[in-house]
Amino acid sequence: MTQLQLILLGVVLTPGVVFALFSILWLLGWDAPERSLTRITAVVYSAATAAVAWMAWSMHMAGVESVAVPLGDWFTVHDYHFPLVLLGDRLALPFLALTVILVGLIGQFSATYLHRDPGFARFYILLHLFAFGALLIFSAGSFDLIIGGWEMVGITSVLLISFFHYRLGPVDGAMRVFTVYRACDIGLITAAFAMHHYAHTSSFADGMPHLSNSDATVIGLLLLLSAAGKSAQVPFSGWLPRAMEGPTPSSAIFYGAISVHAGAYLLLRAQPILIESPIASGAVVLIGLMTAVHGTIVGRTCADAKTSLAYAALAQVGVVFMEIGFGWTWVPIMHILGHAMVRTLQFLRAPSMLHDYHQVHAAAGGHLEKTGKHLESMFPQSMQLWIYRLAMDRGHLDTILERGFVEPLLALSRLLAKLDRMGLGTAEPAEKQAVLLRGVKEEGAIDG
Amino acid sequence: MADLSFPLITAAIGIPAVAAVAAFTNNARARMAGVAGAVGASLCSLEILREVSAAGNAKLAEPWSLGLFTADNLNATFLVLYSLLTLGILILAPRRDTSAKITGTTLLVLAATLSAYGADNLIVLAAAWILSALPFIAGPFTGSWRPRAGLAASCIALVGAISIIVSAAQAGGDTQPFSIASLAGHNYGGQAAFALLIVAIVCRKGIFPAHAWIEDAAEAGPVLPVCLFINGHFGAFLLARVVIPDFPLSAQGTFPILSDLALFTAVYAAIRAVAETRARRILALLVLSQSACILAGLESATQEGVTGALVHCVVVAVATTGLFGVLRLMEVRFNRSFTTEHYLGFSEYTPRLAVFFVVCGLALVGLPGTLGFCSEDLLIHGTLISHPQVGLLLPMATAMNAVSLFRLFSRMFTGTQRTGIQGIADAVPRERWVLAAIVFFIVAAGMMPNVAVALRANAAHEISQALGHPVAFLTGH
Repeated sequence: MTQLQLILLGVVLTPGVVFALFSILWLLGWDAPERSLTRITAVVYSAATAAVAWMAWSMHMAGVESVAVPLGDWFTVHDYHFPLVLLGDRLALPFLALTVILVGLIGQFSATYLHRDPGFARFYILLHLFAFGALLIFSAGSFDLIIGGWEMVGITSVLLISFFHYRLGPVDGAMRVFTVYRACDIGLITAAFAMHHYAHTSSFADGMPHLSNSDATVIGLLLLLSAAGKSAQVPFSGWLPRAMEGPTPSSAIFYGAISVHAGAYLLLRAQPILIESPIASGAVVLIGLMTAVHGTIVGRTCADAKTSLAYAALAQVGVVFMEIGFGWTWVPIMHILGHAMVRTLQFLRAPSMLHDYHQVHAAAGGHLEKTGKHLESMFPQSMQLWIYRLAMDRGHLDTILERGFVEPLLALSRLLAKLDRMGLGTAEPAEKQAVLLRGVKEEGAIDG
Repeated sequence: MADLSFPLITAAIGIPAVAAVAAFTNNARARMAGVAGAVGASLCSLEILREVSAAGNAKLAEPWSLGLFTADNLNATFLVLYSLLTLGILILAPRRDTSAKITGTTLLVLAATLSAYGADNLIVLAAAWILSALPFIAGPFTGSWRPRAGLAASCIALVGAISIIVSAAQAGGDTQPFSIASLAGHNYGGQAAFALLIVAIVCRKGIFPAHAWIEDAAEAGPVLPVCLFINGHFGAFLLARVVIPDFPLSAQGTFPILSDLALFTAVYAAIRAVAETRARRILALLVLSQSACILAGLESATQEGVTGALVHCVVVAVATTGLFGVLRLMEVRFNRSFTTEHYLGFSEYTPRLAVFFVVCGLALVGLPGTLGFCSEDLLIHGTLISHPQVGLLLPMATAMNAVSLFRLFSRMFTGTQRTGIQGIADAVPRERWVLAAIVFFIVAAGMMPNVAVALRANAAHEISQALGHPVAFLTGH
């Protein structure tokens, strides 16, 4: 294994090892001191940042375009292989650098922000798992491996949204996010299968396999489903404001920087497939456009800082989607990097927004111009009201999803439950018997 | 056929049977007797697995057992798994669930289940099948009428099928009409025997429309023995051991329908779980849905699907043991059965139990880094290859199961700040070690899935060959 391969492997695996170590120690009863957690985190991500910088510099100097780390097959059955291959190329490296830098910064910021919080250790354990998942997504050399990182980022995201688990809002928000993630992940799982089926491999470490137009359309649309879910694009945008229930540092890194751009990264990685299919490319542009408009309009009616920022991020990611759909590569990469940095800063400063505002206000001599009135003035009064109503209900997206999918599913579930109970008469005899058998005192309604 | 070094299968069956007698006669030491019996069975099973692997996954006969038992790649893993699960449950169970009656009967179920796994004789298989179900039909693990009816129907169907097979074999002049191995490929009993075997599988496995008994059993019966019983996966085992080898042509013709039915059951149970409020029923429905996925994988006739199914058997068994175990411990701690109607916020008191619950749950629905990810991946690939249209239902069912599971976790462990509860312990060492072993296995095997896949590869190859190329299987080419 070459030096560059070792560096890439080390950068990706180290957060996973730290996560595993912390988790095992916690399960064994270790009460981690805050200082140990933050120092280890600082060392790990400082080293990782230096390693990625060194790797990028070495590759640039040697004129190497990509470094692949083939680790064999994770498992093999017959002619089906799950390839374990990491890839550090010009697309992956900026995202790897972004991840290690921001996770390191968030680690330092959270040392103060979450000081003496009962969930301090939990936050850091999950932060390392998130970093591992994100690095796995960005360095994966196959769609199968992307799924692994994708799911890890998803579950970490959900567990951090419900970080303040003793409050109803975060827990409900986490449930909503988990549902959308799982529904949309079907796209990525099926796309990976379709890659195996059509191209006999899901690996792109040696270049993306060539696909016919129709195959590319199917895979492109499936990937778009998954990317739209992860990046909160229309019609799945409703989960993003709910995700703001988590602690601010995690909101910053997930929904300002890394997680929200994972969908865009997936599409960038799959761009050779999208280029093959005008339908899929067109769909990416359309979804991006709708999201950009949606984010812009809805963001203007949000009453709190984090939700406003969430919609602003949404609008920008929509524009990134459009850029990817147009077939550009470097423009969306630069857009993502710049946007991620700025948005992270904004999220981290959100709790101090009033303080910042007063400082700016004072610096401007107490005369800050009101902005943002020009957009409204472009529309007639009646349309302004209609748009306002639309924006207040966040584009009716949640209502549409609830009435179109969730409520029918729940109704079907209840109907099936009734069918299952047919022939039983009432359920009480069985339940009474259960109480006797299992020795549990039934207490009736459980207090909430 | 080579022999095992010792009558290990008989020993694996005999030790828990003897321990059961000891447990029945000494209520104070029942748990100790149970653990000793399960440890003995586990050690024998592990040695069987070692000898089978050392023999290159060949079939090994048991010495001095009159051809009643054999060990091979298919049943060796099941023997180890079931023995260890029983051991885990006997250690994990709260004190009120380790009475002489419950422990003794659990050990008898263990002995009967191991007999069924090891059987190379149809009469032994039928007897073991009935004996393992008897505590759930006649007591002491009875619940409502549906589990009794479902299990009785499966027993009757199996006895009927075996009677027809043996009669046909005797009429055909077969010298070993009771031997499972010698009947392979003869299609004795024809469509009637095949149909009855399928009825037995559908009823035992809880495939739609015979699915509801599993929910009732989990709700109304003692949850840990029920969990152990369901995780025997006898339906899938009978399919792999008897139906596919003995009726490859019929199986190939019928399995697309059965596979669709299994997928339908997986989706049906997943949809049912979405709005279900009782915790035990939710878990039962998840087991049902994931078990139906196993059957769908077996019937996909692809090597990916079959291997995925055999690995998923292990995942479902281990993960649901963890889930039901944590649920039972919580029920006993808080002295109530759980529903999802309110947020209960118990993670403040039992953080480690909460972590064990969420890890087991996510492994069940294919979290990366756990063995469930590998098995789900193989299952989905297998079923999508064999049924591109309906195969898509499998990831949908899994996604819905994940949502139901997370909902249950959220409601039980989060959502509110509770005050005024005192004296509630988190996982005590006895529980912690068992649950940690479960999580360790799920994660370690998930990190190195090739080991688990290799353990099931030979059996998967034989099954997929029999289904995919029945004529070649029959002629031995």
